[in-house]
Amino acid sequence: MADRVRVRGVTIHRPIIYGNTATVLTSAERLETSHYPDHTHRWTVAVRSATSAPDSDIVGGADDLGYFIKRVTFKLHDTYPNPTRNIDKPPFEVSETGWGEFEIQIRITYVPESGEKATTLYHHLKLHPWSITFPLPNASAVPAEPEIPSPENAAKLGPVHSWQYDEIVFTDPFQNFLNLLTAHPPTPLPKMSVNKKPIPFHSSNPASLEASLKGGVPEFTSAMEKEEADRLEEAKGNIIKEQEKWRSILIEKEKELERLQKLLASKD
Amino acid sequence: MAVSASDIRSALSLPSSSTPVQSATTAPRKYQGQVTKKPEGISRELYALIGPSAPSLVAHLAKPRLKQKPNFGSGGKVKWEWRPFRNAGRTDSLQLGHWVKTTDDPDAEYSFAKYNVQSQSYTYSQEEYTRFLEDKDWTKDETDILFNVVREYDTRWYVVHDRYEPPPDSPTRSLEDLKDRYYSVCRKLIRNRPWAGDEASKAQLLNSYQFDKDRERMRKDYIASLEDRTPEEIAEEEALFIELKRLEQNERKFKKERDELLRTLLGIDSGLPDIVAEEDGLSALSAEGFKKRKKNANEIEIPSTPSNIISLGPPPPKRAQSAKSAALDAQNCIIRVEPPASSATKITHAPVHLRSFKLPAPKAALLPKVTQALTELGINHTRLVMPTRENCARLESLIEATTALIDTKKVVDRVEQDIRVLRVRLGRASEGAEEDGKEGTPMEVDGGAEAGADADADADADAEGEVDGRAQSILSTRSGRGRKQSRRSMSVSSIGTSASARVGKRQKRG
Repeated sequence: MADRVRVRGVTIHRPIIYGNTATVLTSAERLETSHYPDHTHRWTVAVRSATSAPDSDIVGGADDLGYFIKRVTFKLHDTYPNPTRNIDKPPFEVSETGWGEFEIQIRITYVPESGEKATTLYHHLKLHPWSITFPLPNASAVPAEPEIPSPENAAKLGPVHSWQYDEIVFTDPFQNFLNLLTAHPPTPLPKMSVNKKPIPFHSSNPASLEASLKGGVPEFTSAMEKEEADRLEEAKGNIIKEQEKWRSILIEKEKELERLQKLLASKD
Repeated sequence: MAVSASDIRSALSLPSSSTPVQSATTAPRKYQGQVTKKPEGISRELYALIGPSAPSLVAHLAKPRLKQKPNFGSGGKVKWEWRPFRNAGRTDSLQLGHWVKTTDDPDAEYSFAKYNVQSQSYTYSQEEYTRFLEDKDWTKDETDILFNVVREYDTRWYVVHDRYEPPPDSPTRSLEDLKDRYYSVCRKLIRNRPWAGDEASKAQLLNSYQFDKDRERMRKDYIASLEDRTPEEIAEEEALFIELKRLEQNERKFKKERDELLRTLLGIDSGLPDIVAEEDGLSALSAEGFKKRKKNANEIEIPSTPSNIISLGPPPPKRAQSAKSAALDAQNCIIRVEPPASSATKITHAPVHLRSFKLPAPKAALLPKVTQALTELGINHTRLVMPTRENCARLESLIEATTALIDTKKVVDRVEQDIRVLRVRLGRASEGAEEDGKEGTPMEVDGGAEAGADADADADADAEGEVDGRAQSILSTRSGRGRKQSRRSMSVSSIGTSASARVGKRQKRG
């Protein structure tokens, strides 16, 4: 029972990524591989470790997450046969064909040593290439939906990636679970992409769209983290500058108010 | 010696020789012959006396020339001229003049302007005061006066203490009281205002405003007492000090002698450490010395006094975390926090979560404004690209700063509203006074409040625009109406003129 003691004051996390890759099916492929001729895309949704293995053609997946994840359940759209796909051993991914984008519910069940409940997260399956849909100040006709390119163009643009980095955080883990986790330290994210792979696109960082279209399989790097940190710091700097400006305006106005109050008082 | 016959004759005042021709020729020749070239460095007579080949002559000639006066760079002459200049450090535009070389660049800034350094002064708003600057010993008035005086006299405390004049009922403040209040206010402001930059620089700035009143007072008392010593006391202290030094010296000498004695008596194995490397570094460096040191260190406990060379003592008591385990933690992504000391609350276990589930969110009331402000800066606070611990912390401080900014803007609006109300009331209060006065104050006051409202009587549009602006504050419509009436009287005539002018123009065109 000594193992079932929680280690207080310890927080341990593991970086993961979850998301999907999608490629367009050419008309020939459509007929031979899937039974549904109206499926335009083949896609794979997965939960993997954040660091990419060197010389691999998938995003992430350098570490085997099986040491603390027991099962990943992907709940697909109801129109799929057996929409609840349980994956009991790594690699935790589901590959399918389809024609539409929908929300996939991902449920991660942990090994029993963790004593934790399953976590649920959602991922919007992305089939069509990214495009900026931010309303431009001068554009009168803003497309409500991103333009979906024709199959030929889509095929040219290459596979579409939509991945999200996240960290699974365990607080006050059990001692034996902690030992289990520390036995498998995660591969740290590389500072920069070794093979000059593009960075994955993210809607919070519109600037990354250009970089992500370079072509090739994207890779998560710690440079992305630093870039975001810089953006946040810069925003904070701007805010504080504004704040100081407004504070001095406020002090001026308060002085003015006081002066007027005194003036009014003297008149009465 | 080149003494000629003519020289002798002239010296002895003898008449010239019998042969007059000879004398005639010699007479002029005397002078010609006598005028030999003047030798260098010495006078002609001296040369004549000494002769050409005397050694002293050579020595004299060989004497080095005296150095010429050194030429301090201005071999040519430098012209100076009187130029007026402005000091960038001055707030008024006083123009003074000074002498400057003509070759000097006329547009260069006054070189001493950069030394006009202003120290960082702190101002606070009413909100900030009520929120965290309240103090039981200090009223707001006093604090305001103090800050004004400090800013005026650039934190020169002796002047500030002299010029500080609190309102009549307050207690007298000593210099330490003033400093204490000022520095504690500054520290509180630094701590509570959002801070750009990292924690370390904030801690540094905080440190610079440290002020401990009691320590200051004690220090000043010490210095004062130091100054107030009578000469006898000073002499006594000096004597004591010298004696102390002498005693220490003696003690050291005795110790050394004792050690030496012991060593010679008991041989090398007296268990004493070797000669300390104070005076004799060579002996310490010898190989023997090394071996002995190692042996001694292993055998004996560290003697308290002399060995100051190698302290192979027990390793420092185990620190909370050695460097190795820190690296291991970082590798495993482990963060250790202090478990809360009080276990009175039942320790509920925080379940496993994804970090993006716990992203900091602004308070609901300000949510739309915060979101708007952040989107202007290009930040989406609902999703982070890489929600790591550090980035989440940064996002949190960013949201905090944005919230503070929005708060400040709100307060500014409120104060602005109050000002407007007061102005109207002032306007109304002085309505009984002369028309001119009334015209004067609301007009100029409104010029400040509403940009673009001119006292331009020609355009009707102006009056309309003002009324529109006025419509926002209900209270001011009355005075607005009053103003409109008076202005209408002025503009009636202008309507007439402009209308007729327009008509006239139309007729012309037609």
